[in-house]
Amino acid sequence: MIQLHNLSRTYREGQCKREALRSVSLTVARGEVVALLGRSGSGKSTLLNLIGGIDLPSTGEVIIDSQVLNRMSEYERTLFRRRRVGFIYQFFNLIPTLTVLENVQLPLELNFLDVERADQLLDKVGLTDYRDTYPDRLSGGEQQRVAIARALVHEPTVLLADEPTGNLDAESGRLVLGLLGDLVRVQGTTLVVVTHSRKVAELADRIFVLDDGRLTDRIDEVIW
Amino acid sequence: MSSLSRASLRYLWRHPWQLVLAVLGIALGVAVVVSVDLTNESVRRAFDLSVQAVAGEASHQIIGGPSGLDETLYTQLRVELGMRDSAPLIDIYGKARASTLHVVGIDPLAEIPFRGRFVKQQDAAVRTLLSTPGTVLMDASTARRLDLSVDDRFKITVGGHAHEIQLVGLFGSHDSNPAALDSLVITDIATVQAISNQPGRLSRIDLKLRNDNGTAAVLKRIHSILQPGARVVDAESRSHALLQMTRAFRTNLTAMSLLALVVGMFLIYNTVTFAVLQRRGLIASLRLLGVTRGQVFRLILGETLLLGLIGSVLGLLIGFTLAQGLVHLVTRTVNDHYFVLTVGELVIMPWPLLKGLALGVVATLLAALLPAVEAARTEPHAALQRSGIEVRARSLVPRLAMTGLALTLGALVLLVLPSRSLLLGFAVLFLMILGLTLMSPLVVSWLTHAVLPLAGRLFGIQTRLALGGVVASLSRTGVAIAALMLAVATTVGVGVMVDSFRSTVEQWLSSTLRADLYVSAPGLSTIRPEMALDMAVLERVREVPGVAAISTGSQIMVESDGRLIELFALGLGHSILPRYPLKAGDPGQVWPAFLANRGVLISEPLAWHQRLTIGDLIPIHTDTGIRAFPVLGIYYDYSSEQGEVLMQRSLYEQHFEDHAVSALGLYLSPDADLQRVIELVRDATLDTQYLMVRSNRTVRETSLAIFDRTFAVTNVLRLLAVIVAFIGILSAFMALQLERVRELGVLRATGFTPGQVTGMVTAQTGFMGFTAGLLAIPTGLVLAEILIEVINRRSFGWSMKTVVSADVFLQALALALVAAILAGLYPGWRMAHTPTARALRQE
Repeated sequence: MIQLHNLSRTYREGQCKREALRSVSLTVARGEVVALLGRSGSGKSTLLNLIGGIDLPSTGEVIIDSQVLNRMSEYERTLFRRRRVGFIYQFFNLIPTLTVLENVQLPLELNFLDVERADQLLDKVGLTDYRDTYPDRLSGGEQQRVAIARALVHEPTVLLADEPTGNLDAESGRLVLGLLGDLVRVQGTTLVVVTHSRKVAELADRIFVLDDGRLTDRIDEVIW
Repeated sequence: MSSLSRASLRYLWRHPWQLVLAVLGIALGVAVVVSVDLTNESVRRAFDLSVQAVAGEASHQIIGGPSGLDETLYTQLRVELGMRDSAPLIDIYGKARASTLHVVGIDPLAEIPFRGRFVKQQDAAVRTLLSTPGTVLMDASTARRLDLSVDDRFKITVGGHAHEIQLVGLFGSHDSNPAALDSLVITDIATVQAISNQPGRLSRIDLKLRNDNGTAAVLKRIHSILQPGARVVDAESRSHALLQMTRAFRTNLTAMSLLALVVGMFLIYNTVTFAVLQRRGLIASLRLLGVTRGQVFRLILGETLLLGLIGSVLGLLIGFTLAQGLVHLVTRTVNDHYFVLTVGELVIMPWPLLKGLALGVVATLLAALLPAVEAARTEPHAALQRSGIEVRARSLVPRLAMTGLALTLGALVLLVLPSRSLLLGFAVLFLMILGLTLMSPLVVSWLTHAVLPLAGRLFGIQTRLALGGVVASLSRTGVAIAALMLAVATTVGVGVMVDSFRSTVEQWLSSTLRADLYVSAPGLSTIRPEMALDMAVLERVREVPGVAAISTGSQIMVESDGRLIELFALGLGHSILPRYPLKAGDPGQVWPAFLANRGVLISEPLAWHQRLTIGDLIPIHTDTGIRAFPVLGIYYDYSSEQGEVLMQRSLYEQHFEDHAVSALGLYLSPDADLQRVIELVRDATLDTQYLMVRSNRTVRETSLAIFDRTFAVTNVLRLLAVIVAFIGILSAFMALQLERVRELGVLRATGFTPGQVTGMVTAQTGFMGFTAGLLAIPTGLVLAEILIEVINRRSFGWSMKTVVSADVFLQALALALVAAILAGLYPGWRMAHTPTARALRQE
């Protein structure tokens, strides 16, 4: 379960302060899929970073499975992220010097888990034939499928996706989305997805909108 | 191997140029240090071996003055004192088949306790030495080198006289240290006395005294029979005093090599920084996946360690090759200035190699520490933003400059401390260099901002983009400029120092060398007239038409306060006045006192080393015992680092049993023809000994040639520092090319031609080179002042006038500019010719 209590995040830019998030509170149940919508600069990615423990709130608390992230040291947050969180990004962020299989094995190795599971995940995303290929030889859709396999291979409790289909064509996007939906439902993973896409949002159990750093559940048609 | 390590290694493999440049940079830095260390160690080892070869098991030695010992002393020792553990020895240096040979005359019957190996193995041959004059033994490898077999006869030249001798036996190669015997020729005492024209004389008598309570009593008995001027010395301390003479020279070489390593460290820092910057996206991805800061840190350091190890091992190989060339240069310098060294081969010892390896690895890790910390400290989301790194780098620039200023001030404080420590001198040098280097990024930033508006207006958008790129990528360009600046400053500093030194020596030579012609017997040293002239030579030369007056000179080594120094006995002919330029003392008072034998003059280095001034007494071991001579004046002298005493011939002969003369200065009558007189002198002395008759101009030219030869090693090291910096800047531009592919792709898409892109890159590299050259000038001048006023003064005691020519500035600018433009050519070409579509796809 993800619990966000009264989160704010302020950035200092020279003499000015910019409030990226303003008193955001949200609870996401285990296995639930939540979509975050919003215009550019509305604070979506900031919120994702806070949930993933790669940034700290100025005020408020981030609690995941009863553990308060903002009270952890940086090292503890890294280990927490390693075990409990998976990330999917618009630009895939695969390791270019590792093969497809090695990319998927990486989280297992970091968590000292059996690396054989990587093959199963690759099979599930339909890329077994590309296991020894380097990422730059794959299409965008294939790269994102590798990213999904890598994000889920160690069975994290939370999966955070930032515009997962933003860099894909319609067909590839549909494929990736289907795969993502199936896998999180099967594994019971909580998914928080940031998107501009109506199709992606339709995957969610609940949809929230971030507008100028404030969270609402009122979907403004303008967003689409 | 873990996936993390695999990812890291494959990254290196995918960027072969950067990998090669980084490894080469480390390798060259290590190579310079290793080569100088190996050379220094080889010189020391060669010296030890030379000493060991003939010193044998002696605990003490009886030595005499310049003419050695009378051999009757040896008879007295054995007969009157019953000292069986004593062995006489006479040694000289000669030339045979273009090789220098150390010819040692021994008494084979007394040798077994001392140098048993020469007599044990070659009983029959040793008997021949005793029975047949002119017969010698030689080390087998030396014989092979000279293409000699047993029973062969060959010519050996000693002091201008050629003698025929016969090889009658070889030493076995099973000797515990064959290198110790290299170039060693063993013969009977009588043979050496004959070929060196020293009948009845010995160089020394070796003694083997037990280290017990009775030693003092034995020494007392020996002292009771010693001839005037003879004394007993500890064998080890004698050789130590001799080796100490080269200490400052070797220290300076080591410092130069360390400077190259510092430049190498900049290069490594540069390389690792680029490797981190280029992989910030990858590092961010790893951090998102849960890779800890410690793991990132270890990853970068592990990678660098590997580079360091490969580079260092390669450095050892290059260093070894380089040292083979350097050892000959250094041996030549040691022979020119210090003592005769017959072993010129490189000796490989584990210590310099281990030191080089450790230094390379540690330097690499130290250089990588900052980038590794930077990589580890980066937050995962921040790592994805490239601008963040530049923002941080820019905020670091003023702090670096402040640290640099503090270091520079620290160096100035150390400078004013009343100390003569050479080590402290080097600390000042390195602090100053580091301080000024740390300030350079701030100056680059200021300079670029100052130039940018005008350059933009004059040369358009291309130049504005090029210059703007320097400041925008200060984290990379700043380091590249600093590394190049440091290397060029080193060449400026050392160049100004060498120029100043050369100009000072040139002036000194013209004011010191007053005679029209100089006559000496050829010796092994090109500088010191060390071989005695035949007595007949002086008489015959005096008769040569056109010779108006003659001065005589003898140069010998004497001991003063435990140090070996040179003594020059000057015999002034009628109407010749001494013209030595004085550093201290009124010429009007000094020279009349000198001519009246009221004391001696000492050279500037001697005054410095022994802290002597006018009016002090300088103790000198003479043939009449230790005598203290008043110091009348201090003169400039650049011929001897250890220092020299100038004594009038008549005073010298009062204290030394030596009537030999080793050099003549001929003053010609105004109407004499120089060439004609040279021919006449040669004709007149044809049947005496082979002589070198050189004009004033030739001596001056030869001296300056030797000066240039002395600094040949320095020039090699300077060149290497520039090569290291060149590799650094090439590596920097290659990395920049990788960094900016997308940015340049955008420029190409908006209409920049490949030529414009190349022009822009060249403008940027040119500006960086120009800036580095500009900053190198003041830094180099500061470096030169420290080298001249601190390092040289504390090492050698020489004072010199700083001479700065405009050439030095132009050379610095040209060097930096050319290095930078050359280094930017290939990356520029690559940038311009990368397909635009591919460049735009780059993430």
